Amino acid sequence: MVQDVYFFTEMGYTAYPQDEARRRGYNNLMFPNEHFSPERAQALYAMYFDELLYASEAGFDGVMINEHHNNPLSMMPSVNVIGAALARTTRKGRIVFLGNVLPIHDNPLRVAEEVAMIDILSGGRVTCGFVRGLGQESLATNTNPIYNRERFDEAHDVIIKAWTTPGPFRWEGRHYEYRVVNPWMRPLQKPHPPIWIPGVVSPESVRWAAEHRYPYVALAPPLNTVDEIYDLYDEVAAASGYTPTSEQRGYAIRVCVADTDEQAYEEGRHFFWQLGTSFGIVPRHWMAPPGYMSRAATNSRRQQMRVGATNITPGGPINSYEEAHATYQIVTGSPDTLIKKLEHIIDVVDPAYMILWGREGLMSHEVAVHGIDLLTREVIPAIKAYRADRERGRQRATVSR
Amino acid sequence: MTTAPGAFTESFVEAAGLRIQLRHGGSGTPLLILHSELGVPGWLRAYEELARHFTVYLPSLPGFGQSARPDWIVSIRDLAAWVTWCARDLKLAQPLPVIGTSMGGWIAAEIATINAGLFSRMVLVGPAGLQPEDGHVWDYFMHSNREAFTQAFCDPANAPEYACYYGKEWTTEDEAQAEWNREMSARLLWKPYMRSHTLPALLGGITTPTLVVWGREDAIIPVSVCQRYARAIPGATAHVLERCGHLPEMERPEAFVEVVLDFLAA
Repeated sequence: MVQDVYFFTEMGYTAYPQDEARRRGYNNLMFPNEHFSPERAQALYAMYFDELLYASEAGFDGVMINEHHNNPLSMMPSVNVIGAALARTTRKGRIVFLGNVLPIHDNPLRVAEEVAMIDILSGGRVTCGFVRGLGQESLATNTNPIYNRERFDEAHDVIIKAWTTPGPFRWEGRHYEYRVVNPWMRPLQKPHPPIWIPGVVSPESVRWAAEHRYPYVALAPPLNTVDEIYDLYDEVAAASGYTPTSEQRGYAIRVCVADTDEQAYEEGRHFFWQLGTSFGIVPRHWMAPPGYMSRAATNSRRQQMRVGATNITPGGPINSYEEAHATYQIVTGSPDTLIKKLEHIIDVVDPAYMILWGREGLMSHEVAVHGIDLLTREVIPAIKAYRADRERGRQRATVSR
Repeated sequence: MTTAPGAFTESFVEAAGLRIQLRHGGSGTPLLILHSELGVPGWLRAYEELARHFTVYLPSLPGFGQSARPDWIVSIRDLAAWVTWCARDLKLAQPLPVIGTSMGGWIAAEIATINAGLFSRMVLVGPAGLQPEDGHVWDYFMHSNREAFTQAFCDPANAPEYACYYGKEWTTEDEAQAEWNREMSARLLWKPYMRSHTLPALLGGITTPTLVVWGREDAIIPVSVCQRYARAIPGATAHVLERCGHLPEMERPEAFVEVVLDFLAA
C-alpha cells in the first residue's frame, strides 16, 4: 500500500544550446561550461524552488532531490546544498536525498556531518539515500571507477558507524582512514535517518540493499524489468531471514497530468527535452568507465535492455517518447487515466513509497503547478486508497520461484 | 627450448604464484618483453625477428590477456616485484636483457631503480611514468578502446599489425579482452595518471645500460618525454623512430628490431 508520495524534478538546466550538443554527440561531462549562464540558472532555481515548496505545501509527503555533475540534466551538483536550502524553506514533508554519491568522496565523514546538520535543521525530515553515481561522474570527479563499489561500501560503513557508535574511534579501511572519527554533529533521527538505495542497473546494488534491509527505489525502469529487481531482493531477503514488505520497495516514475489525456501527452514530451532523450547523450565509454559496471550487471537482462533502450545512448536517442510510454517509463493522462496507469504500476510493484517525477524540461511553471494541483487533489488520494491486486498485477508471481 | 624461426609456443605456466599466459619462442639467451597498458595481442613480427637471436619470453602480465588477476596487484611497484619473481620462477639466466613498452617500460625502470642485478640491458619503448613538460599524456579513460588503438599508431591505415589485430571487425571476445585489459590499466594507472611523482628522482639511481626508443609521432606520450627519460637515467641513450606512434614494435617492426639488436649486441 502506498504510504508516501514525493515530488521530484531533476531541475534541468534547460538554457543550453542543444544544437551544439547534437553536433558534438554529447551534452555532458565534456560539454563546454561556457554554455552555462549563472543568471539563467538563478531564474531556473527560483522557479524550481517555488514548485518544490508548492508541492510540499499542496499535499505531497515531501520532495526528492539528487546529485549530478558536469551535466545540464540537473542543477543539483550537491544534494546536500539543495537539501539544506529545503530544510529551512519548507515547513513540512520529508526531504528525500537520492542521494549522496558516496564513492566520489575522499572524506565521507563530511557527508555524515552534512546530513546530520540537515537532519537537525529540518527537524528530522531527512531520508538519506546513497548512490554510486553515473559512470561519467567517476570521470568528472576523477574517482577510480575500479573501486567505485568498494568505496561505496566502505564510505557507507564509516558513515553509519559514525552515526551509531559513540566517538572517538579510529577507522583503518582499504580506502578510508581516520585517526579520529568523532563528528560533533549527529543526526536528530535515531539511530539515524532512514537509508534508501535507489538504482537502475546493478543487481549488486539490489542484493546489497536487501542484505542491509534498506528500501530499494527503482528509478523509472521499464516496468517489465521490475520483476528482476524485486525477485532478487526477495531472494536475498529470504536468505537473510526476513520477508520484505512494501516498505522495502520504492518506485520513481515520470508522470505528466493535465486536464485531458491529449494535453498531458503533449506536455509529457518535455520529459524528453534533451535531443529527444530524458537523460541526454554520452558515448558508451563515459557511461561505463573501466570497472564501473560488473560482469553480472553487464550481463543482466535489465542492462541488455538498457543498452538497447536507454536514453543515455551514444550518438542519439534510441528510446523515444512513444516507446517510453509502452515501457511505462513515463505515464501521462488526465487524472482518471493517470490513476489507472499508476494503479497498474502499484499492482506490479506494491511500493510503500512512490516518487512522482512531475516536471521537466521546458514545461511552463503554470503547467507544472497545475500538474501539482491535479496530483495532490485527485491522483495522490486515489493511489493511497488503492489496494494492490498482486494477483492481477504481479508479473513477479509468474516468475519461477 | 629451440624452435624454428617464426614458431612460438603459447602456454599457461605457474609463475610467482599466478597462472600466466606465456608466449615464448626462439633460441639463445633469454630476452624478456614487458607489454604496454594495452596488453599484447599476439606473437608480433618484431618478436619473431628477435627470436632469431634470443629466446623471447612474452608473458601477459598479471591482470592482462588471459593471465590471472590477483587483488593484491594494484600498482606498478607491485607488478615490478612480481616480474622479478617471475623471471626467477621461469629460471631465466640473470642478468638478462629486457624490452618494456609504455607501462612495461615503466615497470622495467622501476625494477632497475631497486635491483641492478636483474637486467643486463634495458630497452624502454615510449615508457610511461614521467609527466610531459609540455602537454599531457593522452587520456585512455576518456576514450573508447578502439580510439585508443587508433591513437597509438601514427598511420594505422598503413600498419599491417594494426589491420591484423585492431582494424578488423571485433568479436565479442575481442571487445571483452580489450575491456579486461583496460580495467587493469585503470587499476594501475588511474591516479596519478600514467606517472609517478617520485620516478624522476628514482631514475637517477639506475646503473643498467639503457636505450630509450620513441616514436616521433607518439600521440599517447609526447616524444618530448624521451629526452626527459634519457637525461634522468645516467648514461642512457635515445633513439627516435620517424613516422612512428606509441607502439614502435608494431608500427615499425624492422626499424625497431634493428635499433634494439644494435643496442643489445653492443
